[in-house]
Amino acid sequence: MSLASATRKGAGATAPAAPPVQQLLRRKRRRAAARTLAFLSPWLIGFSVFFLYPLISTIYFSFTKYNGFGSPTFTGLKNWDYVFNDLPAFWQGLRNTLWLVVVMVSLRVLFGLGIGLLITKIKSGVGLFRTFFYLPYLAPPVAATVAFAFLLNPGTGPVNHFLGEIGLPQPGWFSDPDWSKPALTLLAMWGVGDLMVIFMASLLDVPKEQYEAAELDGAGPLQRFRYVTLPNISPIIMFAVVTGVIQTMQYYTQAIVAAKVAGGNAGNSGQQFEPGYPSGSTWTLPQMVYNLGFQRFNYGAACVVALVLFVISMAVTSVLLRRRSGFMASDD
Amino acid sequence: MHPTTSRFRRSRRTVAAVTGSAVLALLATACTGSSDGGGSDDSASGKDVTITFWHGWSQDAEVKAINDNIAAFEKAHPNIHVKAVGNIADDKVNQALRAGGDDAPDVVSSFTTNNVGMFCSTKAFVDLKPLLAKDNIDAAKTFPAAMLDYTQFQGNQCSLPLLGDAFGLYYNKKAFTDAGITNPPKTFSEFADVAKRLTVAEGDGYKQLGFMPLYHGYESTTEHFLGQYGPTYFDGSGKSTVATDPKVAAMLNWQKGLVDQLGGYDKLEKFRAAFGEEFSAKNPFHTGQVAMAIDGEWRTASLATDKPDFEWATAPFPVPDDQKDTYGRGYQTGTIVGIASTSKKQAAAWEFVKFLTTDTDAVVSFANAIHNVPSTFAALESPKLIADENFKTFVNIAKNAHSTTTPAVVNGGGYIVSLQNLGYDYESGKQGDLAAGLAATAKEIDAAIAQAK
Amino acid sequence: MTLSSTLPAEAPGKRPSRGTARGPVTAAARTARRRALLNWVAVHSLAVAAALFFLLPFVFAFLTSVMSDGQALTTDYWPTSWNWGNYGKVFNTPGFLTWWRNTLLYAGLGTVLTIVSSLPVAYALAKFRFRGRNLALTAVIAMMMLPPQVTIIPMYLFWAKQLGLGGSLWPLIIPMAFGDAFSIFLLRQFLLTIPREYIEAARIDGCGELRTLLRVVVPMAKPAIAAVALFQFFYCWNDYFGPQIYASNNHDAWTLSYGLESFKGAHHTNWNLTMAATLLVMAPVIVLFFFAQKAFIEGVTLTGVKG
Repeated sequence: MSLASATRKGAGATAPAAPPVQQLLRRKRRRAAARTLAFLSPWLIGFSVFFLYPLISTIYFSFTKYNGFGSPTFTGLKNWDYVFNDLPAFWQGLRNTLWLVVVMVSLRVLFGLGIGLLITKIKSGVGLFRTFFYLPYLAPPVAATVAFAFLLNPGTGPVNHFLGEIGLPQPGWFSDPDWSKPALTLLAMWGVGDLMVIFMASLLDVPKEQYEAAELDGAGPLQRFRYVTLPNISPIIMFAVVTGVIQTMQYYTQAIVAAKVAGGNAGNSGQQFEPGYPSGSTWTLPQMVYNLGFQRFNYGAACVVALVLFVISMAVTSVLLRRRSGFMASDD
Repeated sequence: MHPTTSRFRRSRRTVAAVTGSAVLALLATACTGSSDGGGSDDSASGKDVTITFWHGWSQDAEVKAINDNIAAFEKAHPNIHVKAVGNIADDKVNQALRAGGDDAPDVVSSFTTNNVGMFCSTKAFVDLKPLLAKDNIDAAKTFPAAMLDYTQFQGNQCSLPLLGDAFGLYYNKKAFTDAGITNPPKTFSEFADVAKRLTVAEGDGYKQLGFMPLYHGYESTTEHFLGQYGPTYFDGSGKSTVATDPKVAAMLNWQKGLVDQLGGYDKLEKFRAAFGEEFSAKNPFHTGQVAMAIDGEWRTASLATDKPDFEWATAPFPVPDDQKDTYGRGYQTGTIVGIASTSKKQAAAWEFVKFLTTDTDAVVSFANAIHNVPSTFAALESPKLIADENFKTFVNIAKNAHSTTTPAVVNGGGYIVSLQNLGYDYESGKQGDLAAGLAATAKEIDAAIAQAK
Repeated sequence: MTLSSTLPAEAPGKRPSRGTARGPVTAAARTARRRALLNWVAVHSLAVAAALFFLLPFVFAFLTSVMSDGQALTTDYWPTSWNWGNYGKVFNTPGFLTWWRNTLLYAGLGTVLTIVSSLPVAYALAKFRFRGRNLALTAVIAMMMLPPQVTIIPMYLFWAKQLGLGGSLWPLIIPMAFGDAFSIFLLRQFLLTIPREYIEAARIDGCGELRTLLRVVVPMAKPAIAAVALFQFFYCWNDYFGPQIYASNNHDAWTLSYGLESFKGAHHTNWNLTMAATLLVMAPVIVLFFFAQKAFIEGVTLTGVKG
């Protein structure tokens, strides 16, 4: 970190100045550097202790065999070989994550946009509707997942009861490997409030004149959406997609709670919970880090999976940084 | 301006100090060795000491029983106090043992023997052999051989049996009478026939199901079913035999046949999703939702407490038709107890473990209270042991020479989980090719063990 | 949901309908009015349908929470008897009040520490000019996007093995005294919008940077600080992974989110009690939202729009 070195302030004006002025400026520069450092100090510590150090350690552990007792022993690429070649669950987790990225993220963005559009069209009771639509986003993930596990319980849940009454097929939801991810997607769409608000704000920001001009040109509602709305909000869609992908890389709580509750052995002593229930269909990479590290105590392999997760997350983040220079905007 | 600047200077120095100490702490993140031979501290020398004991019991009656046991111990050893923490699963035990520290347990018990290999090979538990020797306890003359076997790993006796568990058949006598069945089935073909006759449909579900064969149906797990077959699991060189031992494939096919016969996976799974909790009065056998169940001997206690409105009885679980002569066998396991190597009070901890596992009165009264199979010869023969017919079934299963357990492996029960996962895939139809599935599972098991070595 | 009954008949008429003021209503204007009415009905039916989708889970959870043990296992929608005592039972569950206390401690202390430690950093990143500023900002964003699982193994070993803080929530609270990336980022985005002149003016008045921050910037940034505080509070309240790693082996350190899941484990199909507990975990968050709705929505908007 060269943050402390000097500030740019006044640097341009120093060149031909007389010694006393130079001295004064140097002192001023040093003071400014000290001030910057002081303001940044909490985070500098946080960054080193809670990011840099554990990241380097994770890399180190990924090349060792370590089970928490004794000390790590260097084993070269053995853990990497194990995770990539002998741990089928790893690829299953990766495939599940890809499924969630493709289906869950896109459905959530489309649904959020739809609800955002709907809100801007509502004439009566906007405030009430907005609150209703937003509320589920606030439900703590564990509570929301437990509630959905109840609603979607194949035996006693109201959803399947209702589906049966109107003669529709009754899926096994969280208990059926083919339906567990769709059930999680439904849960994610229920909590779409954050996207709704973002889309709503950006839709209201679209200049009215553009719509009026399009209307004068004889554009119908669909054309107006295509040629006026979309170009205006496309950066927000991009933002929603990228942050959605990043959130999905971290997808953990809902998947693990759904699996535990539906798997039927949440918290039963002596029984270890079966991760990814049913049939590994809800495995995600973060869960695998937990399972390998804190249930199987294979820290080395857990660190390999953690690093894969890190590389993917940072790759997606760099897309976000490149596409949205606004992220890095400054006022000078 | 000056006061502010100096404040920043000062805070900068503080920052440096804080950073420095953080770096020191980080550097210390190297290794902490596990302690060597246990029991040599002075924690049992007479001064007051409190040891922490973690166990998995959670039902009221069971918690009371273990607490009574602790009270008896504290009475005999007034200077040693035991702080008991219940309802703890094995992964939490493992995590806490690694962390060590003041809150970590001194004495730990686990409901399964699955993790003994891990506890011993990682030296999470201390080897109890020197302590047994010091107190002149001959383990071979105290504990039944099978139990002594599943509490050690490659010669390291890092745990001792604290009561045993055996698995058998529970059946609803009223349902049997209603269906005109007089005797419990002895072979799998009789069993399939009986299960079918006991099944009563209701709508597109069941009013009463003969037997819940799905692997998620509580104790109907792969390793418990395999106890009726007696497979090898591993060959002499420690390689998995699940793909080569025909008994494994035979069991998976038998269960799959039963699933199809009783209505198919989807229908059964839907029924299962509405089951009450296993360790509660809502257990599907208690409620009459299922007429037969595979379960451990502790169920006799819960049934006696909950008093369902039907008569019930126990018998050994049936065996495959081609192994008729082994009838009477069952899967055998038990609760184990060990001393954490991170404990600084190992001498006191040993006194407690010794009491729990070898004091005949303690073992018998605990076995009577929670209806588990006693784990010492003396206790098994004790006249104080209350054993009604239903409970005796399990004592006999435990004594049966054909009864088997799952072997201890260096990475714990990982291989059981792998096989169980194949079971889930096979019963649901997700894996159609059993031979390929077994080969892949064997490879996965071998890779995981090689990785852990 | 009686929202559909609030249809105001005059609503469509409020739209500018040129040419209707004088003389007979033209056919074109009538068609336009009819289309507007249809449009209104379509939009509001959709809105009601959406509202049902968002609200029904709460309604079902609530109805189940007051059912008797037996009825909760059936597929009934409507309770035959209203067992309000279920809520009392949940409160009397051993540990439930401890979970509340722990969650409040974690969320409350965590939020205060986050604000105090993140604000100066955000201010420096927004208003100071120094070499490496973009690098620092990139690092903040990288940290913000980092899944917590990536660094959990060394972090766990550090807290539990080296510092002996396993079985407590301190490993989750202490790091918040060293800046939270998301809060820093959000605050910085807002501080960028404060005109430089205000700050220069404060400097000319002889204020030091710290005093400028406290006297000038903080009052102007109140909405953003409120939003960040809410986000952080919610984050802590909802956190499951952290307590699962650090606090799970000590029942006395459990939080609501973690305890709720085990509550489900212990009361397997007592769905009535489980739903009552679930609603009790949701309630504070939702109450807080009603009090601070504006700050919250502004905060969400800030994350996406003002980027």
